[in-house]
Amino acid sequence: MMTPHLNRIYLGAAIVFAIIYLFPLYWMYVTALKSGSEIFAYPPTFIPKDPQWGVFSHVWDVRGMGRFIWNSLVIATGTMILVAGLGTGCSYVLARYRNIWIDVALFLVLMLQVLPASLMITPLFVGFSAVGLLDYPRFAVILAVTAKAMPFFVILVRATFMAVPAELEEAALVDGNSRVGAFVSVVLPLARNGVLVSAILIFMQAFGEFVYSKSIIQDVNLQPASVGLNAFMGPNTVEWNNIMAYATIYVTPILAAFVLLQQRIVAGLTSGALK
Amino acid sequence: MKRIRSSIIDGVGFDLVLVGIPLVFLILFSGLPLVYNVLMSFQEVDLFSLGEVFRPFVGLKNYRALFAQPEFWPIMWNTVIFVFCSIGGQFIVGFGLAVFFNTGFRGSTFIRGLFLVSWVMPGLVVGATWNWILAGDFGVLNYLLSSIGVISENIFWRSDINYSLWAVIITNIWLGTAFNMILLSVGLAGIPKDLYEAASLDGATAFQKFWTITVPMMRSTTGAVISLGLIFTLQQFDLFAAITGGGPANSSNVAQYWAWELSFRQYDFARGATISTIMIAVVMVASVFYVRSTRHEVRG
Repeated sequence: MMTPHLNRIYLGAAIVFAIIYLFPLYWMYVTALKSGSEIFAYPPTFIPKDPQWGVFSHVWDVRGMGRFIWNSLVIATGTMILVAGLGTGCSYVLARYRNIWIDVALFLVLMLQVLPASLMITPLFVGFSAVGLLDYPRFAVILAVTAKAMPFFVILVRATFMAVPAELEEAALVDGNSRVGAFVSVVLPLARNGVLVSAILIFMQAFGEFVYSKSIIQDVNLQPASVGLNAFMGPNTVEWNNIMAYATIYVTPILAAFVLLQQRIVAGLTSGALK
Repeated sequence: MKRIRSSIIDGVGFDLVLVGIPLVFLILFSGLPLVYNVLMSFQEVDLFSLGEVFRPFVGLKNYRALFAQPEFWPIMWNTVIFVFCSIGGQFIVGFGLAVFFNTGFRGSTFIRGLFLVSWVMPGLVVGATWNWILAGDFGVLNYLLSSIGVISENIFWRSDINYSLWAVIITNIWLGTAFNMILLSVGLAGIPKDLYEAASLDGATAFQKFWTITVPMMRSTTGAVISLGLIFTLQQFDLFAAITGGGPANSSNVAQYWAWELSFRQYDFARGATISTIMIAVVMVASVFYVRSTRHEVRG
């Protein structure tokens, strides 16, 4: 379609756009590697003169990041399991039938997706304190984040189930499978990729969650990395190289997972979010 | 009992269980808090009555007190500016990029996907990074702007009351552009190619094709993307916490951050619930538009 020459021009422009757009990310990495005095150099250096590779283990120890990352992992894993466990079956049923009740349920799910966390935290906090859930703060956060994230998961995974031909399931039923058997041994394996990618997206979201953790978890030993990063950024801080090192440690695993799964995530998003 | 069991394994009961449990969960942890929130906005709540469900009713007192606060209207106006400018910026940049990548040159899918890293990054990390980029004396944005001659002296993005809201808006535009672009790309990919070919045969210029084919064909996608943008922008909290904290002097405060501040900084849960109720009503209206604009696809 396109001449190779034109293709090269477009590709070049695309790379320039990507470099401009991703500059903040680059700036995070290079700031982390600069020394405490180099970050205040004017004009700023765009390539660190003397990269401080030791900054990462330094920040990891001084800020107690092991504990923060562990708590983030606990919250993200718990949320992912709960969302996938509850949401997969729900999306399957919502994809399988088409009637007025399904429309009503879908509408409810869509409406629940839009409730902002920073507005829902007030009633959730008061409610959790009334039933004593604040004594198990990480579990309380998992419950709250699950309620927030599940509608999004259901919408994405429903699109996956709609792509599974109903004939395959019917054939399995004719062969003598029960509904449970057909679902577990025929439908679920066919939808596996979509479910997996959506579950990873939920994991990523929960890994970066902030509002609920900040409000519910008072004990610093149970707080996730997002709250730890927030506490690190005091109003008059000068340790920007260390803060960026913290941010680098926190975000790099997510970015690595994203780059590896990029095509599948984008495909899942585009099939689910709008259609 | 046996009939119920066999229905769950091999009948309608199976569907009901699969839908029922998540629905009960959502009602418990989303629906109930929503109702409770509205209830609280009509009650007197203090730290001693926090654990009770039935507290003294005060009618509209919380609403009247909230409207009477001097910062109420400035914060609401900030919210409007924040929402309007964020959506506008995200949509325009996102649309431009989507049209550009839709030309389908080799490598376009991969590079387009890279833009989404802004969307998977934790909000606090985005906020921290931009906090540093926007720093007054040593920020790289001020350096870049002054070296191309746009500004003559440093802008104190975070501490100048004229710029603090814009600091968050700029960051939020960066954060949301990629997601807008991906959704708009889906819409663009759905426009039949032969429309463009027919227009080319008739001698239409690229500009004419854009106005007479692309724009009208994108109408329903645009509606969905803008209402989604409204929903996401009203959810934005992390950037405020990471960049300005709503300050200085509430100059960058918006309703969703204020609601949290009232509850968790001033421990005035009743007012927090009141502003939450107002904003949730706004979001609900936006989501009705969203659902309407995607309805034919939802049924699809």
